[in-house]
Amino acid sequence: MPVYILGISALYHDSAAVLLRDGVVVGAAQEERYSRLKHDASLPVRAVQWLLSDAGITASDLDHLVFYEKPLRKFERILATSVATFPRSWGAFPRQMRSWLGDKLWLRSTLCATFGVRPERVLFCEHHLSHAASAFYASPHAEAAVLAVDGVGEWATTTLWRGSGTTLEPIAEVRWPHSLGMLYSTITAHLGFAVNEGEYKVMGMAAYGQPKFRAEVDQLLRWDASGGYALDLDYFSFHWHPTRSGTPALERLLGPPRFPGAPFTPAAFPGDATPEQVADSQRYADVAASAQAQMEEAMLRLVAHAKAAVGTDALCLAGGVALNSVANRRIAKEGPFAHLWVQPAAGDAGGAMGAALWVWHAVLGNPRGPALSRPDLGRITPVDRAREMLTDLGAKFEVVDDPARSAAADLAAGKVIGWVQGGDEWGPRALGHRSILADPRSAETKDHVNARVKYRELFRPFAPAVTVEAADAWFDIPEAAREPVRWMLATADVRPEKRAAIPAVVHVDGSARVQTVDAGASPLFHRLLSEFGALTGVPIVLNTSFNLKGEPMVSCTVDAMASFHRSGLDLLYVDGFRVERPR
Amino acid sequence: MGQLRRALLTPVSEIAWRLPGWPRRLLAEFSLAERGSMVDMLAAAQATPRREMRRKYFLHALDEGRHATIFADRVRALSPGRADRAEAVIEDAGLLQDHGIVGGQTLFERLGELDFLAFVYVAEADAVEQFGVYLDRNLPDAETSASLRAILKDEAFHVSYSRAECERYRKDGKPVDQAIRAVRWRRFKEGWMRFTRDFGEWTSGFWLLVLYFVAVGPFRVLARVETGGWKVVARPGAAGLAAARLEG
Repeated sequence: MPVYILGISALYHDSAAVLLRDGVVVGAAQEERYSRLKHDASLPVRAVQWLLSDAGITASDLDHLVFYEKPLRKFERILATSVATFPRSWGAFPRQMRSWLGDKLWLRSTLCATFGVRPERVLFCEHHLSHAASAFYASPHAEAAVLAVDGVGEWATTTLWRGSGTTLEPIAEVRWPHSLGMLYSTITAHLGFAVNEGEYKVMGMAAYGQPKFRAEVDQLLRWDASGGYALDLDYFSFHWHPTRSGTPALERLLGPPRFPGAPFTPAAFPGDATPEQVADSQRYADVAASAQAQMEEAMLRLVAHAKAAVGTDALCLAGGVALNSVANRRIAKEGPFAHLWVQPAAGDAGGAMGAALWVWHAVLGNPRGPALSRPDLGRITPVDRAREMLTDLGAKFEVVDDPARSAAADLAAGKVIGWVQGGDEWGPRALGHRSILADPRSAETKDHVNARVKYRELFRPFAPAVTVEAADAWFDIPEAAREPVRWMLATADVRPEKRAAIPAVVHVDGSARVQTVDAGASPLFHRLLSEFGALTGVPIVLNTSFNLKGEPMVSCTVDAMASFHRSGLDLLYVDGFRVERPR
Repeated sequence: MGQLRRALLTPVSEIAWRLPGWPRRLLAEFSLAERGSMVDMLAAAQATPRREMRRKYFLHALDEGRHATIFADRVRALSPGRADRAEAVIEDAGLLQDHGIVGGQTLFERLGELDFLAFVYVAEADAVEQFGVYLDRNLPDAETSASLRAILKDEAFHVSYSRAECERYRKDGKPVDQAIRAVRWRRFKEGWMRFTRDFGEWTSGFWLLVLYFVAVGPFRVLARVETGGWKVVARPGAAGLAAARLEG
């Protein structure tokens, strides 16, 4: 009888579920793709339904269900923080207690009732252990230093582990409220973006500024002789205020915060903004650049400490901060490790995978298996179902024998296409399964896709996808970043002589968040790139997630059709069908 | 029922549209509701066993998505460069869940096809009535009124197709009137539940605040915020099933 383990992450943000069969990931799904609520935090009921039905089992076949946190320890942290910050925490306390006393505290029974499993089969894994396990056990490395950096779980905000075979040995941790993740999120909020959503926009904005506020942001963070850090809590209120993460002292230090949705018109593209508006935008860009530079150097310090403490050749990174692709590039390029591994869903969603792998390897004592190699671990729409849906929705479509060749020809003709093939991607990046694709050779493509297709801010850059064979000719990829660039989790410099050929995917600083595509993991997408290369001499396409602003990536045919109708896409490819735009 | 509702709507609308900042809030709430409806209609398009209904639900969903955008654009137009609760609503899809608009089972899954259609019919008819009151009383500004008129045409179509589908069920001998009554009762009950939930939250918040000052405060002298820096972890490495079952 095979052993089935279901990993669950939920109740904070980005809930997800992962199913293992004899230690092998058979499916991984994020609830937002089903509920259509971006960063959906609720228990992943629909994701689990799909995973179980796809595997042909029911909840009674599950040997273990493991949650990615220890809820009582987290409650202890919340209560202790409320006491320690009395009376400033008066606004947060009633909200938190209502939420915890209402449901989160009774998690075991909620999980049993929701998913239909017996109480003795429900397990709990620490938050940072889930992160660390998600990176280490999914990696190809038998020995590695493992660094998890995020906002917070139970108490830990940064943890260092020694991974060896099937064991993860904790070495040291930094504890709440001292948190690099919360520091970056506070800056994110200061710059007018939503926390847990807009952090990557700060990364994009940073390229338009200079780190002129470096001295100021350095006041927020202190380092000690042992390589650990502490926040200056006078500037932060996230640990006691119900909604605000920075204090007035932060505003005095960095200037007034940016309003959400305010136009961003820095000196690089002022448009018809007034000089005051340009100056304001430039200041925000400079704050973003300063915070980003600080984060990169903080990560380099932590990585140096990890090398000194563990001494392996490989580093596995996890936690939301590991999604900072610019910092990952610097770690790969300047850090002491020869190999860097980041799991595609490095944030909280990935905790579901880590918790499940931890049970299989560390609790049940089973040996390691092959590393995670494919991104398309989510829902697949059967071709017959897709055809039926397209017909019933009144789509004008044709069957194409070779979608890769057909799509490449359309892209070369300047069309912007929606591309839905196989299963959903695991993690926040579209990696050629739920993507919007465009020709990168024209500079106008970027503005067109931002403004007319995805309806989002003009400063947001787009990523290139390139065949792994051609990657080095176009991009200067650090040797240690070979694995992260497979999941679009590290940036690389576009080679200077190539930048003019692909202006739509070159960021203002000459970098790109490149994805290398190999034929083994994504054969159809690899062939599309090859076909496009044969037609144009450029084996690269602009690749961005197939979603509209504020919405999760599309998952099924109906979602794809709805986004197609509501966007400025020219064509839609769904599992071998070429759909034309309705008139 | 209609007259009573209209009689209640009129004074409430008069007040709501004249309070400073409230038009933005109302429009933001409408945007949120329309976006939630889009999610529900797309879920229905996917789940319905009646293939001929898929396109109708799908087109309805596209209308709702467009309306959500129109309302959101009006919110932004009425509050240029400002950030307040209204903006937060239109920018943060998570609020759909907080407001109980979507989340858990979809409306279609909960109701089934007939009750779902009855729900659509009742909800759209109510919206037509509500927007009609706003326009009759000249409450919104001119541009918002123009947007409302355009939206009303779509809503009227939604009423007519959902009513026609209900009639089709009636010809098949299905209890349509019962479904409509059940939906009206359900909407009333859900409104009441929302009110009681909000009231309960307020009340529990008050008592928790009392508890905070009475019971939490005294322990302040014993508590300290953690210091920063690396802490050596002395947790046992054992990872047996018994340890894994612990929640703390």
